[in-house]
Amino acid sequence: MRPEEISKKTEQLVTIKPEDLSPLPFPYDTYEETPITPLKEEQKKKWEHSLDGVSALTLPKPETPEEEERLVKAFLSGLEKLMTKENNWTFLQPLMLSMEYCAKCQTCADACPAFEASGRKDIYRPTFRADVLRKIAKKYLSKGGKILAGFRGHDIDLNWDTIARLAELAYRCTLCRRCASVCPVGVDNGLITHELRKLFSQEMGIAGPEIHEKGSVKHLKFGSSTGMTTAAVADIIEYLEDDIEEKTGKRIKIPLNKKGAEILLIHNAGEFMAWPENPMAFAILFDAAGIDYTLSTDLVGYDAVNYGLWYDDVQFARVALKHIEIARNLGVKKIVIGECGHAHKALSVIADRLLPGAQMIPRESSYTLLNDIVKSGKIKFDPTKNDFPVTLHDPCNAVRLMGIVKPQREVINAIFPPGRFREMEPHGVKNYCCGGGSGFAIMSSGNFTDWKRLVSGRKKLTQILNAFQGEMDPSIKKMVCAPCSNCKGQIRDMLESYEVYEKTGIWYTGLVELMVNAMVDQEKPFLEWPGEDDDDDM
Amino acid sequence: MGFLQILTYLSGLVFVIAFGAKLLKYATMPMHVRWELYPIPHEGKEWGGSFYEEIDHWKKVRHKDHMAQYRFMVPEILFIRALHEDNKPLWYWSFPFHMGLYLCIGGLVFLGFGAFVQIFGMVPENSALASLFQSLTTVFAVPGYILGTIGALGLIVKRTTDSNLTDVTAGIDFMNLIWLGLLFVTGFIVWLQDPGFNVSRAFFQSLLTFGPMKEPMSAIHVVNLLIFIGFWAYFPFTPMTHMVSKYFMWDKVKWDDNPNRGDAGMDSKIKKYLTYPVTWAAVHIDSQGGKKTWADIATTNPWDNKEQK
Ligand code: SF4
Ligand code: SF4
Repeated sequence: MRPEEISKKTEQLVTIKPEDLSPLPFPYDTYEETPITPLKEEQKKKWEHSLDGVSALTLPKPETPEEEERLVKAFLSGLEKLMTKENNWTFLQPLMLSMEYCAKCQTCADACPAFEASGRKDIYRPTFRADVLRKIAKKYLSKGGKILAGFRGHDIDLNWDTIARLAELAYRCTLCRRCASVCPVGVDNGLITHELRKLFSQEMGIAGPEIHEKGSVKHLKFGSSTGMTTAAVADIIEYLEDDIEEKTGKRIKIPLNKKGAEILLIHNAGEFMAWPENPMAFAILFDAAGIDYTLSTDLVGYDAVNYGLWYDDVQFARVALKHIEIARNLGVKKIVIGECGHAHKALSVIADRLLPGAQMIPRESSYTLLNDIVKSGKIKFDPTKNDFPVTLHDPCNAVRLMGIVKPQREVINAIFPPGRFREMEPHGVKNYCCGGGSGFAIMSSGNFTDWKRLVSGRKKLTQILNAFQGEMDPSIKKMVCAPCSNCKGQIRDMLESYEVYEKTGIWYTGLVELMVNAMVDQEKPFLEWPGEDDDDDM
Repeated sequence: MGFLQILTYLSGLVFVIAFGAKLLKYATMPMHVRWELYPIPHEGKEWGGSFYEEIDHWKKVRHKDHMAQYRFMVPEILFIRALHEDNKPLWYWSFPFHMGLYLCIGGLVFLGFGAFVQIFGMVPENSALASLFQSLTTVFAVPGYILGTIGALGLIVKRTTDSNLTDVTAGIDFMNLIWLGLLFVTGFIVWLQDPGFNVSRAFFQSLLTFGPMKEPMSAIHVVNLLIFIGFWAYFPFTPMTHMVSKYFMWDKVKWDDNPNRGDAGMDSKIKKYLTYPVTWAAVHIDSQGGKKTWADIATTNPWDNKEQK
C-alpha cells in the first residue's frame, strides 16, 4: 500500500487477521489467537477507527464538514509550527534531517517489531507515517509543492480521513527507535512519530487519554498520574513499612522529605499501587546498605513518570522542572530514578538541556546504584535462594536510549547461581521493546488492548518464550526480570492474557525484588509466585 | 570560453551555493535536547554502554575515544556497513552504485590534477607525474563507470520488482537512477573513444585557465558532459545529499551525549531558547498566541492548587 492511500475514502484501510500475525514459539505454535474485538456499532459511530478498526484515542468524529475543515487547517498550522525554531527548538534539527533524507531503502522495516508481528502490514512500516507527513509537508507547505507532485512522489490528499488515520497511526509505534539504529542515513522514524504526536497534542489537543487527561494532567493536578494525592502518599508509605515488617520481621523507616539527604529516590508511583514489593525492596536494600536517601511527598515529587516524553514537550518540561525543583529544595546531592525506563530517559537525558547547568542536579540510574551496592559488599547475597532460570528484559529507554546495559546484568550474575541467567536474543542495545513503550502499557481505550496483545507485544512474548525453550514444563518456575514499571505492566498483561504462567511457569518481577529474595539476612522468600498468596497482586 | 565551460561554471556555482546553504541551514539550527542512540562509539564500550553505567558519573573525567568514531564511520561511508548488516539484498546493488560514484569522483580529482600540471606543459608523454595522474584517472574512473552502471541497473530492477520497494518508489527516484546510470554509461563510452582522457583533461584545463578548448569533443562526450553538468546543479536539491544527514544525524544527534555541566556556551543557548515565543494553540499550552515564552509556559502548572485534595 502506498502512503498516499491513507486518504482513501473507505470504511477501514487494513484489517489485522490472526492468521497474518508472526508465529509464536512452542507451546503457542498451535495456539488459536483471538482476533481484535471489533468496536461496537455505537462506538464506531462516535470514534475514528478507519485505519485498522482499532481506536486507541477514542477520537471523536467531526460533526460537520466545517469542523473537518477547521481540523485539517489546524493540522497544517501545527505542521508548520513543528518546523520553526521558536516552537520546536527542542527537536528541530533531528526532525528536519529525518524529514528530508529518507533513501527509501526499507532497511528500517525489518527492524520494527510492530511491522514484523503484524504480518508486515504496510501501514506499520516505520516509513509509512513518516512518508505521509513528508508528503503533506512537501505538497502543502513547500513552494511549488503541487507542481509534478505525482512524479515527485508526494501527491497526497489532505482530508479529515488522512488526519484521523494519522492520529491513530501515531499510536501504533512504541518509539523504541530500533528503526533508527539500523537506518544507513540516520533517519529516525521513531522521532517523526514523536513529533507527530506533539503536533496533535500541542496544536490540536489530541492525545491518548491515558497519557494526557488521565496522565500528565493528573500528575500536575494531583501529584501523580495514578491520581494519588500528596496527602495519600505518606499513608501508603506507612502501609509499606508495615508490610516490610511482616515480610522481614524488621521495622524500617522510609525517610520522607528529609532535607539534606544524599539522594532523592523517585519511583514510578504505579509501583505503590500495582507492585508495592518494588518500593519495599528498595527500602530494604537501601536500609541494609546504609544509603542516606529520602522520598518526597511534594506534588509531582513522588511520581517519576513523565508522560510528556511521549507526546508533548510542554507537559514534559512542566513535570521535569518540578522534579528538579523538588530535589533542589530538599538539598539532595543527586536524584536516583527507580525502576522506570522512561523516567530514566526523561529526567537524565531529555531534561538535561532544559535549564542552565547551575540549576541542574545530577541524576543517576537505580541500576547503577544497585550494582554499586552489590559490588560494595555491604549486603550479603546467597545466589542459591534464586535457584530458577531467569531472563532479563532491556527497557528501551534505559538501554538503547541511555546506554545502561551492564549494571543490571552484573547484579543478576551476582544474585543467581551460575548458568541460571539466559539472555534474550537479541538483547542489550539491540533489544526489542516490550510492546508497552511510549505509553502503550497504560493505554487501554477502545479496543487498543487487543492490538497491544496481538501486535506490539508479540515480539517480546516471542523472545521470552524463546529464552526458556527446553524447560517449558510449568513445574519449572522461571522469571522474567523487567526493571521498568511500564514494561512490567505490558509483560504482565501479555503473560496473563496468554495464560503463560499456567502453561509454562514463566512469571515476571523487577530487579530489586530478586535482590532482596537473595539477601542472606532475608529469612522468608521475598518473591511470591502466582497462587502462593491469595492477596498477591503482582 | 565556450558554452560548455560557462554551463559548467554555472552548475558548479549552483552546487556550491545550494549545498553550502543546506549545510548552513542545519549547522545553524538550535541545539536540540539530547536524543542519543546507543551504541555510541566514542564511549568506548563495545556492548553499547555509556557513562551512565558509572556511579557518580558527573564527578568523573569523560574519556572520549575519538578514533572509535572513525573506525565506525569510515567503513560505514565506504562500504555502507549498515546496509550490509541489515539489508543485504539491497546492498548488493547499492554498494557498487555508491562505490562507482566514489571512484568516479576520485577519477575526476586526478583528472583535475592532470589538467593542472598540463597548464605548465607537463603532459603524460613528457612527464612521469602527468602520466601517473593519467593512469590514476583511468584506474579510478573506469571501474567507477562499470560498478556505477551495474549498481544503477540493479537498483532500477530492484525498485521495479521488490514488493518492499515498489510502493515507496516514485517516478523521480527512477529518473535519478537513470540519470546517474546514463552518466556512467556515457562516461564509459567516452573512455573507449579516448582511453587517455586527453579530451576530458583538455576541457578541465580550459576550465582552470578560463581559456578556449583546443581539442574537438565528440558528440557522446558533449552528451556525457551535459548529463554531468545538469546533475551537478540538481544534486544539492535532492535527498541524494544524504551525506548531510549522515554527518549531522550521527555527529550531532545520535552521538551527541554531551551532558549539561554548565559550560558557558550551552548555558547561553538554553537561556536564549527559553525566551522564544510559543504559539502552539492547544488550550493546555496556554501560549496566548505567542505572548508567552518557553520559560513562561514550562514553569507554569495550570492545574496546581486548583483541585488539590
Ligand atoms: S520506533 Fe520502534 S515501533 Fe516505532 S517504527 Fe521504529 S522500530 Fe517500529
Ligand atoms: S532505513 Fe532509513 S533511509 Fe531506509 S527507508 Fe528506513 S528511514 Fe528511509
